[in-house]
Amino acid sequence: MNKQSAPPGVAPGTPPVLQLRGIGKFFPGVIANKDVDLDVWPGEIHALLGENGAGKSTLMNVVTGIYQPEEGEIILDGYGQAFTAPQEAIRAGIGMVHQHFKLVQAFTVAENIHLGWDEAPRIASPAVMEARTREISERFGFPVRPDARVCDLSAGEQQRVEILRVLARRARLLIMDEPTAVLTPEETGELFRALKAFRAQGNAVIIISHKLDEVMEISDRVSILRGGRKVGTFNTADCNPSMLAATMVGRDIVRRNMRARPEGAAPVAPDPVMQLRHVSVRDDRGVETLRDVSLDLHGGEILGIAGVAGNGQRELTHVLTGLMARTSGEILLDGSLVDRADPALFVQAGVGHIPEDRLRSALAPSLSVTTNMALREYPYPPIGTHGLYDAQAAGVLARDIAELAQVSIPDFAMPIRNLSGGNQQRLVARREIRIASRVLVAAYPARGLDIGAIATMLGYLTDLRDQGVAVVFISEDLEDLLNVSDRIGVMFHGRLMSVIDAEAADMATIGLLMGGRDAAGTQAGATQ
Amino acid sequence: MAARAFQRLPSAPAGRILALRLVAIVLSLFIIAGVLALSGHSPVTLADLVLRSTLGSRFGLEDLALFMCPLLLTGAAVTVCGTIGLWNIGAEGQFYAGAIAATGAALGLHGPAIVLLPVMTIAGILGGMAWITVPTLARAYAGVNEIITTLLLNFIASLLTYYLTTGPWRDRISGAQVSTQRLPVAIPEMWGIVHWGFPVAIVIVIGLALVLSRTRWGYEIRIGGANPEAARYAGIPVRLRIISVMLLSGGLAGLAGMFEVAGTVHRLQGGMANNFGYLGIVVAVLARGSCLNVIPAALLMALILDSGIVMQTQQLSASVVLAITGLILFMIAIGDELAHYRPVAGTAPKGKAS
Repeated sequence: MNKQSAPPGVAPGTPPVLQLRGIGKFFPGVIANKDVDLDVWPGEIHALLGENGAGKSTLMNVVTGIYQPEEGEIILDGYGQAFTAPQEAIRAGIGMVHQHFKLVQAFTVAENIHLGWDEAPRIASPAVMEARTREISERFGFPVRPDARVCDLSAGEQQRVEILRVLARRARLLIMDEPTAVLTPEETGELFRALKAFRAQGNAVIIISHKLDEVMEISDRVSILRGGRKVGTFNTADCNPSMLAATMVGRDIVRRNMRARPEGAAPVAPDPVMQLRHVSVRDDRGVETLRDVSLDLHGGEILGIAGVAGNGQRELTHVLTGLMARTSGEILLDGSLVDRADPALFVQAGVGHIPEDRLRSALAPSLSVTTNMALREYPYPPIGTHGLYDAQAAGVLARDIAELAQVSIPDFAMPIRNLSGGNQQRLVARREIRIASRVLVAAYPARGLDIGAIATMLGYLTDLRDQGVAVVFISEDLEDLLNVSDRIGVMFHGRLMSVIDAEAADMATIGLLMGGRDAAGTQAGATQ
Repeated sequence: MAARAFQRLPSAPAGRILALRLVAIVLSLFIIAGVLALSGHSPVTLADLVLRSTLGSRFGLEDLALFMCPLLLTGAAVTVCGTIGLWNIGAEGQFYAGAIAATGAALGLHGPAIVLLPVMTIAGILGGMAWITVPTLARAYAGVNEIITTLLLNFIASLLTYYLTTGPWRDRISGAQVSTQRLPVAIPEMWGIVHWGFPVAIVIVIGLALVLSRTRWGYEIRIGGANPEAARYAGIPVRLRIISVMLLSGGLAGLAGMFEVAGTVHRLQGGMANNFGYLGIVVAVLARGSCLNVIPAALLMALILDSGIVMQTQQLSASVVLAITGLILFMIAIGDELAHYRPVAGTAPKGKAS
């Protein structure tokens, strides 16, 4: 590990393109990176692997000058560097392609390539810029249409524009954040071919990914981050997916069995309260974000949903709560077909929903705490009778919820945005638990809470289970998932890979499933 | 001095805003007095005259009430629309549409006032609603920006009024220019020249405040305005609520037109909306989204308008009056913004600063 000598294929004495030494980056209350060493050699594709929150993005933001590290040094071609702004990193030959593209949608490809580029000709007519763009595109082997508007391009084409933008500025180190997340399998193949060509010219690539198969296919070496620290750097040839998965997620898991039912708890109901049958969802661009998902929710059971964020969890949550219409398939509530996506229908059926982004989707930030706490129960007595809204009854409800959530609120008339994120989360959770008489869909309910509050939140979920409610618990924390879930489903690329019994589940299997492989080791998902 | 001495808070307490607005008004009055004095007018004489002909006399108060009546309704129209997060810039056009519809009913139908007045009221409300129907449907079903559509319809309504008052409905009896004949019925007067439309407008504004704060519909409107995504999450039919709010808003502005034509002017005249629709936006901004605040905001606006007319009789040009109006509103806007700032506690050692 971290050997100073050049790997085979690099002339002796050649320094690494990029060397990180003891990088540390801290945010208030969070250690994002600590003691990270990393060498990236010319002519290599280096994969950076890690769970959400492992510190990959922070590390790359340090390398590209967006953040300044509190500790450690950045060495480029053997010389120490300190970037105070992203422009300096670009000038030093480091280019990054972000997961969410930073292109001007209304501009053409040529205009986007030349935007903010100090080498752009002073008098830049469309014809000149398009000719230059065509030349750049051919030189680097990324075909684009210079005169096309970015908003008319597919995700893969937009990514090529982003890459060209970076390469045109003479990048020798290309950093790509989850480059294949938005690509079709064909586009992925094209990208990989082009990256290999780029490598062959003696350049280096850092690719952030959580897809084990891609890491195995494209990278020469792989570094794994966990909890902000580097676990190790390995030659990809010496690795296999299950070993990578185990290293990626393999921290010490404290198994606290919260699955055991107390005396008198409701048993698992034999008939499912909600069923999805072959449900698929397409987004506006026609991309299938949820693929052929079938599952049964039983009262008195917690179904955990694991997976790297952005693999269809949001869509699953929205389908289960009536916020999103399915493209195909069937949804059954109590055995009868639900023919339209109407959140009101699901609320009436006793489906509670703790959404991922509570401030944006579950609260009206500028309105009072009381008003927000009434959001689920305002149509029903005692608050809503004869079409009226009883502010006093809403105040009583708000006080009840705050007391149960153990949040002390100085003034119930103040805007709810004045509360901390953790307190908002507790209030939303309690409000939803009140109405979840049949099903509770909880998306990342522990996010933003401290350890004690997380334990309380998990306790809420098991209490609901004991009352006979079906709980869907979506989380990226495997420890929490394993501790409370009865069954665990893993999502990858919009597909529910498999649902396994939590008691028998092991980390390696879940890690493999999260990386797009099923337990037997065959690839699934994207290529089908 | 690295630390900033002031901090901007996201919300300002109402008391602070009120205090700073009073300061702003007093300051702008001083500025106006200074400028008037420099241009050879006596600020004291002018102030005395303005006060006597507005708040200080019965006729002045009657005039104020007549100015307030349409401003209350157009201000409420903009405010109620703003509650769901939309801007009705078209109160002016809906005002005309309401006035036209009411006039049409009065000229076309014959009957006693007890029958005709309710018919005219309904016609006025429906006229305003009809005028906002296209922007409403475009907003609700196609996401078309209501600011543009409601604004553009103002010019059409205004020109339609000119057409009617110089064409088919022109006054053939007394030959008044750009006007219909005097309407056969009028809203009865309650106090001098103040007609019953004024108390009705006050009651409507108070009623709206209650509807918004004390009904399920009002609750859904408030949630929909504060965060449409949360409204959808709660199962609120946001599209239907947008339609109902916008139609209500148009109806209120149309009613303002009916009151004006049947209570104050007694004829449909070209240009009779007198910017009441646009001033309704100013009233709504001054009221900061609260229906009850529309009453003092409309009073302030009426006072400014009335004072302007008094000053015009003293050889001050209309543009000077407009500039004075603008100055007062500008200072109030500054006061509102400053109300958000708080000195940061514990910083800025006093000895050094002063």
